[in-house]
Amino acid sequence: MTQTVVRPATRQLPSAKRQRRISRPLQYVALLAYIVFLGFPLLFLLVTAFKTPQELLSPNPSFLPESLNFDNFVQAIEKANLVQAAANSLFVAVATTVIVTLISLPAAYALARFRTKLRGLATGWILLSQVFPFILIIIPLFLVLKQIGLVNNLFGLVIVYAVWSLPFALWMLQGYVAGIPVELEEAGAMDGGGRLLVLRTIVLPLLAPGLVATSLFTFISAWNEFFFALVLIQDPALQTLPLTLARFVGAEGQVQLGQLAAASLLATIPSLVFFALIQRRLTSGLLNGAVKG
Amino acid sequence: MRRQAYLSVGAVAVATLLAGCAFGGGAAPEETADEGPVEITFQSLAYQDTTVAATEEIVDSWNEENPDIQVKLTQGSWDNVHDQLVTQFQGGTGPDVIHDESSDILGFANQGYLADIGPYLSEETKGAVSDDVWETVTTGDGKVIAAPTLLQTYVVFANEDAFAKAGVEVPAGDELSWDDLQALSKDLTTGGQFGVGWGLKQPTAAIMNTALGFDGGFFDVEEDGTATIEVGDEELAVPDAIHAMAYEDKSLDPVTLTQSGSDVMPGFLGGSYAMYIGGNFLAQQITESAPEGFNWTVLPPLAGSAGPVQAANPQTMSVAAESKHVEQSAKFIDYFMNAENQAKLALGDWLIPASADARAELESQTADQNGWAELLKTGENLSGAPFQKATNYPQWKDQYATPGLQQYFANSITREQLAEQLTAGWDSVSG
Amino acid sequence: MTQNTLMRPALPVRRRKGRGVGGPGGGSNRDAWMLVLPALIPIVLFSVYPLVQGILLGFTDAKAGLNVPVSFNGVDNYVRLLDNELFWNSFRIGLIWAFGVTTLQFLASLGLALLLNLDLKLRWLARTLALVPWAMPPVVIAIMWRLMLNPTYGPINESLRALGLPGDINWLGSFATALPAVIVVGVWAGMPQTTITLLAGLQNVPGELHEAAAIDGATGWQRFWHVTLPSLRPIIVAITTLDLIWNFNSFALVFVLTAGGPGGQTMLPMLFAYNEAFRYGNFGYAAAMGNVMVIVIAIFLFIYLRSQARSRLS
Repeated sequence: MTQTVVRPATRQLPSAKRQRRISRPLQYVALLAYIVFLGFPLLFLLVTAFKTPQELLSPNPSFLPESLNFDNFVQAIEKANLVQAAANSLFVAVATTVIVTLISLPAAYALARFRTKLRGLATGWILLSQVFPFILIIIPLFLVLKQIGLVNNLFGLVIVYAVWSLPFALWMLQGYVAGIPVELEEAGAMDGGGRLLVLRTIVLPLLAPGLVATSLFTFISAWNEFFFALVLIQDPALQTLPLTLARFVGAEGQVQLGQLAAASLLATIPSLVFFALIQRRLTSGLLNGAVKG
Repeated sequence: MRRQAYLSVGAVAVATLLAGCAFGGGAAPEETADEGPVEITFQSLAYQDTTVAATEEIVDSWNEENPDIQVKLTQGSWDNVHDQLVTQFQGGTGPDVIHDESSDILGFANQGYLADIGPYLSEETKGAVSDDVWETVTTGDGKVIAAPTLLQTYVVFANEDAFAKAGVEVPAGDELSWDDLQALSKDLTTGGQFGVGWGLKQPTAAIMNTALGFDGGFFDVEEDGTATIEVGDEELAVPDAIHAMAYEDKSLDPVTLTQSGSDVMPGFLGGSYAMYIGGNFLAQQITESAPEGFNWTVLPPLAGSAGPVQAANPQTMSVAAESKHVEQSAKFIDYFMNAENQAKLALGDWLIPASADARAELESQTADQNGWAELLKTGENLSGAPFQKATNYPQWKDQYATPGLQQYFANSITREQLAEQLTAGWDSVSG
Repeated sequence: MTQNTLMRPALPVRRRKGRGVGGPGGGSNRDAWMLVLPALIPIVLFSVYPLVQGILLGFTDAKAGLNVPVSFNGVDNYVRLLDNELFWNSFRIGLIWAFGVTTLQFLASLGLALLLNLDLKLRWLARTLALVPWAMPPVVIAIMWRLMLNPTYGPINESLRALGLPGDINWLGSFATALPAVIVVGVWAGMPQTTITLLAGLQNVPGELHEAAAIDGATGWQRFWHVTLPSLRPIIVAITTLDLIWNFNSFALVFVLTAGGPGGQTMLPMLFAYNEAFRYGNFGYAAAMGNVMVIVIAIFLFIYLRSQARSRLS
C-alpha cells in the first residue's frame, strides 16, 4: 500500500486513450439524459412561476410563458413574508449543520477506529432511529421540548434537526473514515506527527468529500423540514420557508400555483448556489491518481 | 456497562411516565377567573388573499373595540391543520380559537378537546343559522362545539357557449334533477367533447353529501357514535348516475373521475366539458382564470328524489377545551359571526355563509355579479347527515369507501361488489 | 453484527492490521467515550427517550383524547394486527415500493456518480443540477410532478404525443400505472443524496489502483468491477441500507401525489400507520404497526448486511 501511494503518476496508456475517444461522446450523452431527467422539473417550476392564472389553467398550455411577468414573485414576497422566513431557515439550517458536523466528526472517528461496546449501542440507535416511524416520535418529542420551554423557538428546531440528522451523519462519516487506510495514519505517526497533527493533516483532507456530502445532507434536511416546524412554531415571525410555502396550498387540492412556483423558486435558488460553490470540495486532493474513469 | 444500566433505568422511568403524561392527555383546564386584559390566539385558515385580508380586518376592528380581550392572529393552512391540531392538542398548546370544518372537528370534540360554547353565543348568532346546520356542530350529548361559518355545496357550472352551440337550453328553475342532468349531459356530448367533467379523485365526501338528496343516509347512528350501515338504492343513486354517464352514455369523461377539481378546470375553461361539477368555491378560480369572453353560469341545485338536499359541512370556529379564556374566545367568535363579517369572508372564497342574515347581505352586495345568486340558492337546503356523527367514519372513508368508489368509477368492480365492500368494510372498522 | 461489516475496510490491498482494541496511536475506551460524549446528552434526551416511548406505546391502548387513561395491554395490538388484511396488503405494496425505489435509485445514482467523477466539461454545472431534486421543497416536488403527469395537459404526455407514442396515459389515475409512476418520482426525489454519497466515496478510491490495473491491461469495465466497486463497497452498503429504510418509511411524497389511491394501489404502510395515529387517534395500535415494521426491516437488513459480509470474504 505505502509503495503504491508513493509511486509517481505515470502517463496514460495508449489503449486507455483510444478507449476514451470512443466513450467520451457517449458519456456526454448519458450525462445530458440525466440532467434532463433531474433538472426538468426545475425548468417546469421556472416557467410556471412566470405564468398568469389564465395561462396556468389554459386548455392548450404552451410550455413557455407568454411574457416575463414578475407579478407572482412580487405577490409571493409580499404575502408570505419570504425574506423573514428565508432568514429563519438560513439560521436554522446553518446552526444545525455546524452543530452536527462538530459533534459527528469526532464521534464518527471514534466509532470507526475504536472497538468498544459503544459501537454496538450506537449502531443500534442509529438504525432504530431511522427505522422507527418518525411520525410516532413526534408527540413524545414535542412534549420534551415543551417541558424545557423550546416550543415556538428556533433553537428548539435546531436541536431537533441536529439530533435527527446525527444518525445519518455518523453512519456515513464512519463509513468514510473506515475507507481511509489506517496505515496512512500510522505512517504519519511514525514520521513524528502527534495525534492531532495526523488527524488534521492526513485524515481531515481525506475526509473532506464525505464531510461535504454529509453537511449538504444536514443543511438540506433542515432547510426543507416541514412537519416539526409546523407543530413547533406558532409565531409568524419565526416561520421557516416550508411553512410559508404551505400558505399557497388550500383545501381540496387548490393551489395558487403561480405564486407557489415563484416562492419555491426563490426558496430553491439559495441551495443551488450553495451547491455550486461547495461541489468543488467533493473532490479530495490526496488520493486522486492520474487515471480516472 | 454503566451507561447501559442508566438506559434501562431510563426505560423504566419512561414506562411510568408514559401512563401519566405523554399520551394520557394534559392537565385539567384552569378556571377562567381572569380579570383585566387577556390575549387569545386565533388560528385562521383563510386562503384566498381577499379572505386573509378580511380576517385581518375583522381581528383589527375587534382588538380596537375590545382592549381587554386582544386577539392574536396566526395563519394555518387547510392542508395540514389536522396533523397540527392533533399534535398541539396532545401537547396542550393548541390555539384558543380554532378554525376548521365540521367533518374534522367532530372527532376532536368526541376526544374532549373542544369546549362547549353554546352558553356563550348570543341569540342573534344562534337564530341566524338554521337548526339543520347547528346539528352538524353539536355532539351526541348536546354540546355546541363550534359556530358554523361558511358552507360548501356541490354545484354544476355550465359553459353557456357550449350549450348554445349544441342547441341546448340552459335549464332554469328551482332545481335540476339528476335524471335531467344525465339527459343534458347526453345532449351536450358531441365528437371529442364530453357533456360533463367531475374531479372525483376523493369521491367519498361528494357521494355522502349528495346522497342525502335521495334520502341516502348510509348510517343509523346511536347516541354514543356507534352505527350500523345500510347501502341500498338511495345510497347508490348518485354513484349509479355517475357510472351510467361515464360508461353507458359516455357523456362524462372517466379520466376526470381520477383527478382533482382543479385538474379538470382547464378542460371546462377550454370547452372540453360543457358542464363541470365541483365545490362552489371553484367559482373563484373560474373568475380568476377564465379566458376573456368565457360565459359561464351555475345551474339550479341538483335534486334527487328527496329534493335539492345536500349534507352541510360548514367551516367552523371552535374554542379549545384547555383554553384559559373560553368565555372571551367565544365572545370573539360571536363577533366574528355577525352578518357583515361573514359576508365579507364569504365573498373572497365564493362560499355560502351559514348565517341567513349574512346570505341576505351578500346577495345584495353581489346582485350584479355572475353566478352568486345561483350559488347562494344551493345553500338553502343543507342539513346534517348521519355519517357526520358516526365515530368510525373517517377510517371507513379512507380504507373502504374511497378505494371502493374509486374502483367502481374506474369500472373495475360492479355495483354489487361496491355495496358489499362498503357494508363489510363498516362491519370490520366498527367490529 | 452490522457494524463489523461496515467498518472493515474493503480495499483489497490493505493489510488488516492495527485494528485491535487500541486503534491507531493507542487510543482507549475512554478516548472513545470522550469523543462521543458531546453527542450523547442531546441524543438521549431528544432521540432515545422519544424512541423508547414510541416503542413502548406499541404495547398500550393509547388513544387520542383529553385525559384518556393509558394502560399496557401486552400483545393485544399485535394479535389484532395479524388479522388486519389491509395492513398486510399495504405492507406488500410498501415492500415493492421500497425495493423498487432503492434498487433503481442505486443503479441510476451509481451511473451518475461515475459520470460526475469524470473530468468532463461543465462538470460543476452538471453536479449542481444533479442536486435539483434535493433543493426543491418537498411540498412543491409532488405538486410539480402531479402537473407534469397530468394525463391531458401534462408535458410528459405531450412529449410522448410529439414523439408519436400513445400520449393519453393516466399515470397517477389508473390502477396499472399508479405504483410505477410514483416509484419513478420516488427515484427522482431520492437520487441526489445517493449520488453525492457515492461520488464522495469514489474520491476515496485510490487512483494508483486504477493505474496498476490499467498497466496490467484491464479494460475500463474490468477496472470498474475489480477496483472501483470493491473499494466503494462500504459506502454502497451504508447508503443502500439507509435508502431502503428511508424509502420504506416515506409517505409524504406519495400522499400528495395519490393519497394512497387509486383504489388503495399506492397505500404505503407508513401512510397506513399515519392514518391510524393521526386520523383515527389510535396511537397505541399505530405504534404497534411501527414496531412490526421495525422488525421486518431489521430482518431484511440483517440478511442484506450478512450476505454482503459473506460475499466479500469469499
